[in-house]
Amino acid sequence: MIDRYVETLSTYAKDIDNLILLIGVLVGFWFILCEVIFFYFIIHFRAKDGKRAEYISGEEKSHKRWISAPHLLVLVCDVFIVVGAVKVWYEVKQQLPEPYETVRIVGQQWAWSFVHPGADHELGTADDIKTVDELHVEVGKVYHFKLEARDVIHSFSVPVFRLKQDAIPGRVITGWFEPTGTGTYDIQCAEICGIGHGVMVARIVIESPERHAAWVAEQSPITLAAANRP
Amino acid sequence: MALNRNHVAMFALVAVSCFVVGCSARADENERGADLYRLCAACHGESAAGYEAVGAPAIAGLPQWYLEAQLKQFRDGTRGTHFDDIMGMRMRPMARMLMRDGDVEAVSAHVAAMPVARPAPSLTGGDADNGKAIYTATCVACHGADGVGNQGMLGAAPLNHSSDWYLFRQVENFRAGVRGARAGDQGGALMRPMVLQLADEQAIKDVVAYIMTLAN
Ligand code: HEC
Ligand code: HEC
Ligand SMILES: [Cu+2]
Repeated sequence: MIDRYVETLSTYAKDIDNLILLIGVLVGFWFILCEVIFFYFIIHFRAKDGKRAEYISGEEKSHKRWISAPHLLVLVCDVFIVVGAVKVWYEVKQQLPEPYETVRIVGQQWAWSFVHPGADHELGTADDIKTVDELHVEVGKVYHFKLEARDVIHSFSVPVFRLKQDAIPGRVITGWFEPTGTGTYDIQCAEICGIGHGVMVARIVIESPERHAAWVAEQSPITLAAANRP
Repeated sequence: MALNRNHVAMFALVAVSCFVVGCSARADENERGADLYRLCAACHGESAAGYEAVGAPAIAGLPQWYLEAQLKQFRDGTRGTHFDDIMGMRMRPMARMLMRDGDVEAVSAHVAAMPVARPAPSLTGGDADNGKAIYTATCVACHGADGVGNQGMLGAAPLNHSSDWYLFRQVENFRAGVRGARAGDQGGALMRPMVLQLADEQAIKDVVAYIMTLAN
């Protein structure tokens, strides 16, 4: 339903959508019901000829029932929400599936920078590819990310993944995603971080294995250095 | 008759406000540039004298061609998109906020018309005499004896309006390839080999100390 408006492109995007939908429906149901009852009471018990509008202190049992019965029912709904939320939280944030590769993501005022591990799939080696504004990944592979911030708190957000993770100065936060389709999509900053926050955007390029390998080969600092040599 | 007096008063009021509005519109030819500059003032300061704490250099009075060229470089990613260009990445989004046609030109005209405001030197340990020798040997061909730059030389930057800490950082950036190393950056390609000739950090300090002696 939600994916009709914002594409879903990660393995866990649908789970998060379903959770949002569950919460939306339950809360929405009670919201509408309450409003209907409120307005019914307001109109029904309004002042009429020869009868004053009544002030109800809510101490009688028959009055209290209007509070306590919905209260219990809402608590039952909460159980569903908590169970659903904990399940999704565990799957998305607690467990870490074995990675194919790990990328470094660095937020700063006001840009996202990335370190790709390059052809050897190892971070911290000579063939690491550093970019600004563009993260390149391969479709259908599990990625871990190591998220850092250079100055203030930022939040790494990829709407099509339904992924959002705060980046905090002095900490390296690990997370994961697995893209399920190819294309180029938005990366945003989702935490007010200063005057340039609104334009702190980047792109994620999700490629087929062949195209990704070609990009890695082309961008490898080792190839680039060889090309620049006179 | 009271009604008539009110009419006259009303007419006078309207006439006066039209006059005031018309004058203030004429007072600043480049209203759009001034309006856009309010964003820049947050870092570069009201008088565009720069603000070292946020790394923003003095830009007041830089020639229009240079301002436009740099803003366009920031916008198209020639400048401010290197992994280690922390200060450039702060400036780039600001240039990207100049979105409408003519914004870059208007704000550049406004800044170019501001009186030069070069802050006093803050670096220490530079030997201006040695710097003069280096400058005359390596820099003068493009940046000129007075440091006023040369638009015809692929936009060689004017150096005589800038703060010393900023010049120092830019020379280091060019040396490290943090600035000027993007494919297609012709000015940068011209500039980088020149500063790579400087022997060490002391040589950079010396040449910057000499540039600070050039008249604004
Ligand atoms: C958030 C702070 C900030 C704001 C706002 C800002 N700048 Fe900057 N600006 C910087 C920093 C930092 C640098 C230095 C970049 C570097 O070191 O490469 C810079 C550099 C520049 C330069 C290059 C100067 C040179 O000598 O090459 C120009 C031109 C410039 N800014 C113009 C502007 C204009 C015009 C605006 C308003 C639209 C603006 N800036 C708004 C921070 C800012
Ligand atoms: C062959 C021509 C050439 C020579 C020689 C040269 N430069 Fe440059 N320089 C340039 C050009 C072109 C630019 C503008 C690059 C751009 O647009 O990004 C520049 C920019 C600069 C800047 C940046 C100024 C700013 O406001 O951001 C500094 C600082 C600088 N040069 C210092 C030097 C010094 C010091 C020397 C001598 C050691 C030198 N240059 C020699 C061509 C040259
Ligand atoms: Cu941010």
